[in-house]
Amino acid sequence: MISIVRLLAALVDRPHRRQLARVVALFVTTGVLQGLAFACVVPVLDAALRQDWDAATTWLSVLLGLFVAHHVALTIGNLDGYDLACDLLDITLARLGEHTVRLPLGWYDRDRTGQLSRMASKGATDIASVPGHLLRPLIAAVVSPVTVVVAMAFWEWRLALALLVGVCAVLAATRLLAVIVGRGEGAYDAAMAEGSARVVEFALNQPALRVFGRTVHGNELVEAALREQKRASRRLLVTGFGGLGIQLLSIQALLTVVIALAVHLSLGGTLAPAAAIGLLVLTVRFVESLIDYGELSSALRIAEGSLQRVLDVLAVPPLPEPAAPGTPVGSGIELSGVGFSYDGETRVLDGVSLTAPPRSLTAVVGPSGSGKSTLLRLVARFHDVTDGSVRLGGVDVRDLGTEALMQRVSIVFQDVYLFEGTLRENVVMSRPDASEEELREAARLARVDDIVERLPHGWQTRIGEAGSTLSGGEKQRVSIARALLKDAPVVLLDEATAALDAENEAAVQSALTALAADRTVIVIAHRLQTVVAADQVVVLDGGRIVERGSHEELLARGGRYLDFWRERTQAEGWRLLEPPQSPERRETHGA
Amino acid sequence: MVASTVAALVPLVGIVELARILLPAASGSAVDAERAWVVVWVSVAALLVRLATVLGSSWLSHVADLDLSIHLRRRLVARLGRVPLAWFTERNSGTVKKAVQDDVAALHHLVAHSVMELTAAITMPVVVAVYLFVVSPPLALVTLVPLALGVVGFRISMRGAGALYRDYDAGLAELAAATVENTGGIAEIKTFGATGRAHQRLAEVAVRFGGFNRAWMRHSALGMLLMELALTPALTLVLVLGAGVWMLRVSWITGPDLVPFLVLGLAMTAPVTVAGYAARELREATEAARRIQRLLAEPELPEPDDLGPVPGSARVEFQSVSFAYSPGSPAVLRDVDLVLEPGTVTALVGHSGSGKSTLAKLLPRFADPVAGRITIGGVDLREMTSAQLYAQVSFVFQDTGLLRTSIRDNIRLAHPEAPDADVRRVAEAAQISGRIEELARGYDSVVGEDAQLSGGERQRVAIARALLSDTPILVLDEATAAADPESEALVQRALSRLVAGRTLLVIAHRLSTVTAADQIVVLDEGRVAERGTHAELLARGGRYARLWAADQRAHPVDGWADDRAEEESA
Repeated sequence: MISIVRLLAALVDRPHRRQLARVVALFVTTGVLQGLAFACVVPVLDAALRQDWDAATTWLSVLLGLFVAHHVALTIGNLDGYDLACDLLDITLARLGEHTVRLPLGWYDRDRTGQLSRMASKGATDIASVPGHLLRPLIAAVVSPVTVVVAMAFWEWRLALALLVGVCAVLAATRLLAVIVGRGEGAYDAAMAEGSARVVEFALNQPALRVFGRTVHGNELVEAALREQKRASRRLLVTGFGGLGIQLLSIQALLTVVIALAVHLSLGGTLAPAAAIGLLVLTVRFVESLIDYGELSSALRIAEGSLQRVLDVLAVPPLPEPAAPGTPVGSGIELSGVGFSYDGETRVLDGVSLTAPPRSLTAVVGPSGSGKSTLLRLVARFHDVTDGSVRLGGVDVRDLGTEALMQRVSIVFQDVYLFEGTLRENVVMSRPDASEEELREAARLARVDDIVERLPHGWQTRIGEAGSTLSGGEKQRVSIARALLKDAPVVLLDEATAALDAENEAAVQSALTALAADRTVIVIAHRLQTVVAADQVVVLDGGRIVERGSHEELLARGGRYLDFWRERTQAEGWRLLEPPQSPERRETHGA
Repeated sequence: MVASTVAALVPLVGIVELARILLPAASGSAVDAERAWVVVWVSVAALLVRLATVLGSSWLSHVADLDLSIHLRRRLVARLGRVPLAWFTERNSGTVKKAVQDDVAALHHLVAHSVMELTAAITMPVVVAVYLFVVSPPLALVTLVPLALGVVGFRISMRGAGALYRDYDAGLAELAAATVENTGGIAEIKTFGATGRAHQRLAEVAVRFGGFNRAWMRHSALGMLLMELALTPALTLVLVLGAGVWMLRVSWITGPDLVPFLVLGLAMTAPVTVAGYAARELREATEAARRIQRLLAEPELPEPDDLGPVPGSARVEFQSVSFAYSPGSPAVLRDVDLVLEPGTVTALVGHSGSGKSTLAKLLPRFADPVAGRITIGGVDLREMTSAQLYAQVSFVFQDTGLLRTSIRDNIRLAHPEAPDADVRRVAEAAQISGRIEELARGYDSVVGEDAQLSGGERQRVAIARALLSDTPILVLDEATAAADPESEALVQRALSRLVAGRTLLVIAHRLSTVTAADQIVVLDEGRVAERGTHAELLARGGRYARLWAADQRAHPVDGWADDRAEEESA
């Protein structure tokens, strides 16, 4: 209970922290007042049963006063709580939005999308429900029994002591339950995650599974995961029920002990029968509060989890921005002694030094995992380098600031993201104030005009997931049009590997040529044309530059690059089917 | 469940009985101590019964839930294995996962909790009310006042809730979608300088949702507050004690009569609160049940129950085949006639959107034609069981379809009993055996875990798989060869081994790879525009000749260098 309040306080600003404190104080007050109101049962009942009507009236007046105070506090607290709930929703969403936009691009990986969208929808509403619905009953369930015990101690310390001991036992049992269930939950979550992964795999690989006959006769992998899921659920159930049994038993035992003790004391004459009955009524309320707490605790855990996840994201340090951004001169790029590691252990890049003069074309080649993409990402400052520095126009990218850097760099990725909206909106996003003429020119150069012609509503056709889909080559042309329109002096390019048909291939080719003219380009090259055209070729392997030079120089050197070149030219000349005269054509294969 | 409710009430009634036994002592009468202890022991026994019944009924419903869950999941998975493949292209895998995992899990509350909680929420107040009315009707009426007020409050807070819940769900979905876009497209947003605008759009959605939430809160605050104020035990306490003491004074009731109202009357409102919590989960569960129902009702790709006629040969015939993705949408294929003679190669070429991929995918029955028919050896695909069909047809597409299981099991997907020697032989033919043997656990390495394969390596495992399945007919996407430039040559070699001797239908992107095909079919807007051999089509000087010229222009090795030089000199 205290931890959730602390987590909420960490999320909000000072005025809201004050409001939170106020709401908590009001709810604690209502809890105390409710406990005191319950405590009044003993004297009222005692007086009424003794037919002492004056005393009964007095105590009833006290009770009425407590009741009015309780309801006033409850009203104010609840209205404040509703208000705070609304503010919390706004604050959570606003803080998430403001913070994530300042995080390094490297922080965003594939898992983030689902994680953040859950956080912004379900997570935020879970958090908002805390002051709106959860906090009041939770605080009441703790504060009012405590008040009752204290009040009871004035009447009959032995019963109060019994209750106190009982509470400790119940709390211990609850803690035990949480530990046991928590242990089972780890295995359960793992089984559920595995099941989900298998179901997704099953959905994604339907064509292969069907053709190879793995859907009709059941899919063993999915079936095994589902069975394991059931086993894990069952184990969780067994441990959970064990814990729950102990918890319920301890609560009920507490009630029994107090009843027996009250009867014993009353029969022994040390406790007035009326008081005994009053105290038993209090005990019942007390026990019910404990049960309430147990029932609220799972909602509490969910809310705490959501809050913690949001706070974890908010705790990720944003990319540091320079106080006084430097002004770059020219568009040359210089990497000196760059080292980088994602996890602090394995080096993805090590001692990479590279100069790309203004308006030059640098092609990066190398096997997968050699660090090509990382190199590109460091220039765009998706991450900050671990060692060395990356400079643009003589200024370290860290001293340039995100905005200034992004103004000067265009990136064309392999996977192009298209936003929900029209084709036009997707292109002009890079420069909303572009004139119609500039837009047409970029479209012409990137051969997007062909796409516009093909689509039913031209520029106004809606694209993205919900709209018309573009082929891979077309998407890339849209992305190139964006970059052309933006007209930044530096272009970072990850050439698409996917094979394109002749038409798209030619279109993308001419679009890239237009983009590369007059700009500083670093390209992860897959096409032979690209490496031939490059001013310098850099061969990466294992995070280091192993060869560099022009295409001709590297060919003449006869090293790693020559192998690359041979393999690629051979692949380009490949025929799926050899001409009929070749003996290989009719070779019967062994299978 | 009812037994459990009654057992829960016994100790409380026990306190009332104790009051009746002990209270006379206040006025000096003798106390029946023995009877008092009997009441205590009966209460203890009832507590144990209560514990047993609560745990027992809850256990039974949870076990029932487990059985239901796995049963539903199996049925859903089975259904997914039989819906037309187009169903999957319209949905992402997240939707499927949500249905099979999350929606079934959401039912948990309906099955394992809600029924019991609602039973308790109804039985408890009814039993208590009857008991209280027996003791003192007027005081019982007073006790019911808070409950009535609570119900009024609930009704007020739920005014128009149906529509509001829908708006709320829509708002949440919009928020999630805006976040997805801001996360998935973050690199584009930042590099194209749209940070401010995109962020603003997300902020707008968030503010709109926040505003809606606030309005709803205002709209329902009064009702919720009234409900809270009515249902807190403090109100019942004041009413019962005030009215009770007065009735005692005017002798409507006796002292012990007051006790049950304090003990039981206060407990009456608690289940209502629980029911309020359960209502939300019940709503979610009902929605989930509806989605599950919808998925289970998805039509299956029809398939004959019995073994159909056995195809006489591997001769494939497309007869006046037309296709559209959904009724009413424009036709993607129109009246296509095509014959694949056994052992020949047919290449499909054409612009993107010409229908060549769609046509190729009809052969492994990813979808059925809307008109016309496709036969193998004279038998319509729809008259074959899937086992029969896929004994004839296999495919290799860019999407490799490898599963997270051992490489061995991936290769022998079609023949799980295939001996190791065969697995090795096809792996060798697919140019991947060397790479597999380098792995610490060889063929036992699990794809995606201890076998981290590059794109080209995955392609070669998929080719090995197709080799092992050894069907006479093969559908191939030529782009597979070029999907991974780093091992293009090896993939190409593997493909050449795979296609040899089969009836082949190939979707060709680079025309130069298929010049030797027995027939080349040029598709345009879903129709066959030209067909013939490479030489024939070139000689005709039509569409194919133009595509060929474009292909030749796109692939010269020094093309870009020239272009760039031109641009720079310009």
